[in-house]
Amino acid sequence: MKNNIRVERAIKNITQGELAEQVGVSRQTINAIESNKYVPSTVLALKISRVFGKPLEDIFTLEDND
Amino acid sequence: MKTRFLFPYWCRYLGYALIIAHVPAALFRNSLGFNSPAATSNAGLFSNHHVFFVSTTLAMAIGLFLVAFSKEKIEDEQISQLRLDSLQWAIYLNYVLLTVCLIFSSDKEHILLLNLWVPLIFLIIRFRWAIFRLNSSLSREG
Repeated sequence: MKNNIRVERAIKNITQGELAEQVGVSRQTINAIESNKYVPSTVLALKISRVFGKPLEDIFTLEDND
Repeated sequence: MKTRFLFPYWCRYLGYALIIAHVPAALFRNSLGFNSPAATSNAGLFSNHHVFFVSTTLAMAIGLFLVAFSKEKIEDEQISQLRLDSLQWAIYLNYVLLTVCLIFSSDKEHILLLNLWVPLIFLIIRFRWAIFRLNSSLSREG
């Protein structure tokens, strides 16, 4: 699964730490999601998309091998 | 995130303290005048030797439990997953060791003692290593 959290963060001008605080996880987890090392749960993905005010599929997209 | 069955964060330090307190007691067991565990089983349930052995072993086991199963400062779903992964590896390793020991050794007493702390210690090391790698990947990217 791919995501464009890094881009959305840049648009909204917030750091990994601020995003992490808003969705209630550690900064390490946001970093791992951004670098595609960790796939978030549905609840966390929905929380992240709510922070950016966009539908889930604008931020997370499936890849061919998923 | 709601987590069940985990101890509060400060329990980790209590756990380390218990483990550290257990080490000298176990190391100097003989010079303190207590026998090795193998000799205590015949000495009666409430003999000094047996009570000493049980209390030191319990201190270690409880300490390891507290360290292994206390919350992180920020507990989230990735941390939970890392802990579960580590637990899986610890169980694998434990059963491999147990099987090898049962095949090649008839010393059941030491197998039992080994079995008491191998999974927890391996879980702790593997989990700490995973957290360390997570943190170092963070500092690499800034």
